Amino acid sequence: MLVRTPEAVLRRPKAGFVRTHGGTLLQRLALIGLALAAWYVGSLHAPSFVLPSPARVWTAWTGLVATPSFAADLGITLGRVAAGFALAALVGLPLGLALGASRALGGFFEPVLTVMNTVSSAIWAIFALIWFGLSNWTTIFVVFMTAMPLILTNVWQGTRTVSAEHLELARTFRMPRRKVLTKIYLPTILPAFFSGARLAIGFGARVVLVAESLGASSGIGYRLRQAADLVQTDQVFAWTLTLVALMIGLETLVLKPAERRLFAWKKASPA
Amino acid sequence: MNAVEIDHVGKWFGQREGAPLHVLQDIDLTVPQRGVVAIVGASGCGKSTLLNIIAGLIEPDAGGVRLFGTAAREFRNWRAMTYMFQEDRLLPWRTAVQNVAFGLEAGSMPAAERRRRVDETLDLVGLSRFRDAYPHELSGGMRSRVALARSLVTEPSLLLLDEPFSKLDPTIRAQMHSELLRIAALRAMALIFVTHDVEEAVVLADRIVVLQPYPGRVRLVQKVALDRPRDPLSEAVTEQVRHLRLALSGEPVPC
Repeated sequence: MLVRTPEAVLRRPKAGFVRTHGGTLLQRLALIGLALAAWYVGSLHAPSFVLPSPARVWTAWTGLVATPSFAADLGITLGRVAAGFALAALVGLPLGLALGASRALGGFFEPVLTVMNTVSSAIWAIFALIWFGLSNWTTIFVVFMTAMPLILTNVWQGTRTVSAEHLELARTFRMPRRKVLTKIYLPTILPAFFSGARLAIGFGARVVLVAESLGASSGIGYRLRQAADLVQTDQVFAWTLTLVALMIGLETLVLKPAERRLFAWKKASPA
Repeated sequence: MNAVEIDHVGKWFGQREGAPLHVLQDIDLTVPQRGVVAIVGASGCGKSTLLNIIAGLIEPDAGGVRLFGTAAREFRNWRAMTYMFQEDRLLPWRTAVQNVAFGLEAGSMPAAERRRRVDETLDLVGLSRFRDAYPHELSGGMRSRVALARSLVTEPSLLLLDEPFSKLDPTIRAQMHSELLRIAALRAMALIFVTHDVEEAVVLADRIVVLQPYPGRVRLVQKVALDRPRDPLSEAVTEQVRHLRLALSGEPVPC
């Protein structure tokens, strides 16, 4: 009876993962090749200020990377996203937990969430401009107002998956409420928090550009608007590619591995 | 001093429509220290409600409960009592050893002492080799052992069990029964368990309380004076089982 699952059986899904991973890599490369070809053909039939060729964008990008302001702008924008996201997580996680754990609080505040989710980021950007002027706080505020409701909603939804059986178990041990929150609620909602956080980072990285192009004098959004005003389309493309590469890197190098590590306890779903 | 004294306990449950449902009527029950008492009856007869009243999770509407000589209202030493459910209720994000430690995390205890007790208890249920396995990597019987260890790690004087092991297959169940009796004797615990399985009651208990429904009340208290270990196939046990089954089916009230 007391037999642990043989190592070979436990390892099998991993081998399958590597195999399919190789397959997807080939597919992705083919997709990129196709997109580049289409882009190149398109650029032959359009003026360069409408659609610059891949080669031209590449030159613009290498030039861009070499400028001293590149790293500074990148750092400023990422810093704003990070600050807005960190604040959103800091507020959204405990608030979502509290609203989910208390039916009365949850019922009372539910409409607030609907309102926050319906207001467009552009409106938050205009408000932020009025309240904070041309400062870091304008963009941080916009990222925060976009990311926080996403995290809050996900955490709140997550609390509904908390098992009544586990809560009853804690009650038989006379576990104090604070510990029930950290030992039962928190681990249960962690997957929901994670998917909320992933959404929040994605949206945050997009709205930060809107906010920066409206109300900042530095950062990628500001550079994008500058390039657009001067009709430097190749610069716009170069910045865009940088951002796309950054988000893909974040997803595959940070979020995916973190998720796999955090939720190792989950039953490996049959492929 | 008795572990549990139940004195004329009654309980009604409010219903959405109609009069409150009378769940328990005038229950008297005494469980001595180190005693093993089974509560049997058809499902829906208030067995689990009675167990929850003893556990202090539900307040009785009439009568009173005394735990180790103290009225339940004044009783503070709740960690001297643990509760084992029908399901193992292991936390899926915790390994076996962390699940056992959960039993101690409601209170405060130096980390070294906690680790020592958790290791000792895992050893007691024979799961030391699987300490770092997650629940989904364990078999049903092993999960049950982890749940038992979690209930034992606080070193309780009274263990309440609500249809324990009822989801395990018969062989493993018999193993868990002898394991439970061995540990109860070793740790000088009293056991109160609810079951609908008369055979399980006869094999484990030294006293069996038969409840009858509508409202739940004591029909019969049966002493079981057989030697341990009890073989469920032996004549003495089967005779007791037959006798109790008759008592249980005495009234044609469907439950």
